[in-house]
Amino acid sequence: MKILTILITLIFLSGFIYAQESSFSEIMDIDKVKTELNKLSDNTSTIQSKFIQEKHLSFLTENIISKGEFYFKSPNQLRWEYSEPFEYIIVFNDKNIFIKDEDKISTFDTESNKMFSEISNMMIGTIQGDLFTDSERFDVKYFENASQYLLELDPKLPEMKSMLKTIKIYIDKSDISVAKIKMIESSDDYTSIDFTNRTLNQPIDNEKFNIHK
Amino acid sequence: MNFKVRQLINDSKFIIRYSILFLFLLISSCSNPYKNLSKTEYSADNIKQIPYALPFSEKTLIYKADISFYKNDISGLLIMKKIDNNIYRIALTTQFGLKIFDFELNHGTLNVKYCAEYLDKKVIINTFQNDFNLLLIQNQVKNIFIIENPERNQKIWQLESGKLNYNYIQNTDSEKIENISFKKRNSEKISVGLYNYQDNIPGNITLEHHNIKLKMNLKLIQ
Repeated sequence: MKILTILITLIFLSGFIYAQESSFSEIMDIDKVKTELNKLSDNTSTIQSKFIQEKHLSFLTENIISKGEFYFKSPNQLRWEYSEPFEYIIVFNDKNIFIKDEDKISTFDTESNKMFSEISNMMIGTIQGDLFTDSERFDVKYFENASQYLLELDPKLPEMKSMLKTIKIYIDKSDISVAKIKMIESSDDYTSIDFTNRTLNQPIDNEKFNIHK
Repeated sequence: MNFKVRQLINDSKFIIRYSILFLFLLISSCSNPYKNLSKTEYSADNIKQIPYALPFSEKTLIYKADISFYKNDISGLLIMKKIDNNIYRIALTTQFGLKIFDFELNHGTLNVKYCAEYLDKKVIINTFQNDFNLLLIQNQVKNIFIIENPERNQKIWQLESGKLNYNYIQNTDSEKIENISFKKRNSEKISVGLYNYQDNIPGNITLEHHNIKLKMNLKLIQ
């Protein structure tokens, strides 16, 4: 579940479209960027977006594609929903966590389950932008080009380091929202998640953050 | 002794005699259900005759995987790829993409390319080695027997190596391998069910260990 914890944290950085890795240059005035990035959490009450996830494995010629949609409502409601290759939904709603795996629904309570409480805490921390400045967990480097910021996070903690070499987060300058996340493993296999069709600050029904048995 | 009493004694003798016979049959069938069936021996070279395409598919096979291992429930995608004859890559990732394990199965030996710390224990790796060897017919065997069981519409491909035997059970109606059973000294250790074949590849696979709490449910996605 540690893996899930970290993944959810990473995925929770939410965000959206396009990413060109070319021609990024390192930013020296980091404070200015950090101020900019804080807008990510301050000005966002809801986010809704589609996503395409690609898994690259060195021994395969084609990437494995998953697709879905996610919904976020500040401060602590999230629905992350895969529709392809199969239906899988994870919902975080305050102290409750629901997982729907095809017809099977599981519920967890973050208060009685330390692991999920940790996930929940990390998520909230992430949406508030703590991950970008979490110097205990990551070495962060800041890059930019004309349209995007690129943050490269190198994990410092051994348990995370054994799984991930670098996390790249691409942020659109136009509205300071995450366009793409790329998680690169120590073997150079990677998972990239592209966010498309985003809507910000539109009302989302609370029922989205509930799964009924 | 009147007729009725004699009849009763005879009846009891009859019942006892047949009970013993039945018990004997029961015991013998427990110890080896295939004992009285026609059994033909072939050389191990005939392994490819087994009508089971999974080990030979050149496609990348992706299964939705649900693995319960003692109190751990692991779910994700299991990816199997034949790299060369008797060489496979087998990886499990979470729904979110990160790898849980990445193994190379090379002529029956499982090499760990990556494995999450909580699973990276010798006993667990050996268990996965046994499971994938069974699923992909990679065990080294000395003999192959074909056992016909017309009563149950079964043709059993029994691969034998000393006290171990691996039974690939073909349904003679569907012509598919529908069960696999691994036995050590005739006691079943692993049983596998294979269902809903699509283009000769099992659409569903359930694998269960009988001596440890490990269950694997696989559902074909691609």
